[in-house]
Amino acid sequence: MKSSHKFEAMLSLLILLGFAGVVCLARLMDARHRDVVSASSEEQLYMKGATAKRLSLAFNGLAADWYWMRSLQYVGGKVVKYEDTHPEQAQLDDLGALDLRLLPSLLRVATTLDPQFMAPYEYAAMILPTFSQDEAVSILHYGIEQNPAAWRLYQHLGYIYWQSHDYSKASETYGAGAKLPGAPKWMAEMSARTAAEGGSRRAAREMYQHLYDESNDAQVKQLIERRLMQVDSFDERDRIRRALENYAGRSGRCAGSWREVASQMQALQLRLDPFTAAPLDPSGTPYVLTKKGCDVDLDLNSRVPYR
Amino acid sequence: MYICPVFAPTRTIARNTFREAVRDRVLYNLVFFALLLIGGAIFLGELSGGQEAKVIIDLGLSATLLFGVFIAIFVGVGLVYKEIERRTLYAILSKPVGRGEFLGGKYLGLCLTLLVNVLVMGAGVSLALAYVAGGRNPLVLRIWPTILLIYLELTVITGVALLFSSFSTPSLSALLTFLVFIIGHLSADLKSFAASLGGTTARWFFSGLYYLLPNFSHYSFITPAAHGYVPSFAELIMALLYAGVYVIVLLSAATLIFSRRNFK
Repeated sequence: MKSSHKFEAMLSLLILLGFAGVVCLARLMDARHRDVVSASSEEQLYMKGATAKRLSLAFNGLAADWYWMRSLQYVGGKVVKYEDTHPEQAQLDDLGALDLRLLPSLLRVATTLDPQFMAPYEYAAMILPTFSQDEAVSILHYGIEQNPAAWRLYQHLGYIYWQSHDYSKASETYGAGAKLPGAPKWMAEMSARTAAEGGSRRAAREMYQHLYDESNDAQVKQLIERRLMQVDSFDERDRIRRALENYAGRSGRCAGSWREVASQMQALQLRLDPFTAAPLDPSGTPYVLTKKGCDVDLDLNSRVPYR
Repeated sequence: MYICPVFAPTRTIARNTFREAVRDRVLYNLVFFALLLIGGAIFLGELSGGQEAKVIIDLGLSATLLFGVFIAIFVGVGLVYKEIERRTLYAILSKPVGRGEFLGGKYLGLCLTLLVNVLVMGAGVSLALAYVAGGRNPLVLRIWPTILLIYLELTVITGVALLFSSFSTPSLSALLTFLVFIIGHLSADLKSFAASLGGTTARWFFSGLYYLLPNFSHYSFITPAAHGYVPSFAELIMALLYAGVYVIVLLSAATLIFSRRNFK
């Protein structure tokens, strides 16, 4: 072997060994670094929205996008971490257990950087009330102040009030939004309905349906779909409960299994499980008989929200 | 085509400056990197929860502005300096070419280069938007008035770079021009700062700075453009006039300084 070939082979070997060493070192450093990263991930933002806006020069929109994506990644990361350590799935409409203390600040900075950016307001209205309603209301008020003609922000604010059972404020907010140019007619209808019916299922269904129709966010749509399923399930369970009461009244005992009341369930035009004849909830999971067959409830594995 | 003989030297210098810039590989690298960034915005948009178009516009137009500023500064500050260093300036000025015509030609040549770059990058953003929305997104066309505003801002920055390079070294000129770019985007703060001051002299001083330094806030339309807003015709005309007048002032100042320089 020529000496030059030998030299090249040695160099190649050195490169390979060097890369292997780099990979090992990187893994070692990652393992040691993880604790530091997780400890600092909950640190408060070092920059207020107004300062960030000033420093971003002409690129405030881009900076807002970055904070917005950081918000999504922050929630996503928390959800993944929760699901890694818990047997059940985390749901977007019940994130109280995830400790999302940084989310309000992230959304606030995103909206300060770009006050016309609607997605963070929608996200704030849907996600924040489960653990920080005041922050959600504050962000929405800021949005309305910056975008006085945006009726959708009134819709979101009304939804926050409605969720907290403050029906008069919800009605008032929908009414204010309905007066804006371009606002759809149903805003005025929602104002009247929340005032008259408060938290009725009809009002809820209508509220969710409009939110679903207006949203472009897949995550938000998924969340509302679950809420719509919940409202449908409440209705179905009422009907099933009545049928079970009728059966108990006629036969003098509660149903021992779903098969015993299969004909009544069919009469209610419910979808039935082909094996057990149990009626299926809106997510396709069979309902379960409770209280020794006298009552009905959701299965623990159902995707329909319990609360 | 008839060309007024008065402008013939300026035109020739502009054409040569454009050719020289086009041959410069650094320029291609910058444009390539900007287009790569615009392409990357498509993938980044997927992380944005349904905000793809906004992310593409924000990132794409910001890249257009930022890389345009880099080109304007780094090519702009070397325009005069290179000619002095290579001693080609003596050959040019020995011909019937005025120093003002020389600077004007250099300026127009770089503006032409920037125009081509901005058009390429703007087309990249439009294509990325069309790709994401299946070609039916009205934003594909609505971003172009904003691209025009970006270009106008770049023409002013080029003028600033040329002014500094007429009496200073390239590195110092680049630094000063970049500072003017930053101050130009913070000029609204300068105005409110002046208003908040108690002393009359200080207030006058900062108010004077506000009016003397270029105000780029009128050209910052990227964020509204991402929401589908288009600058009004009046806004565009005012921005065009402002840029035009400011560039005339800058070129006049540069010519004044440059004509007093002794190259012996």
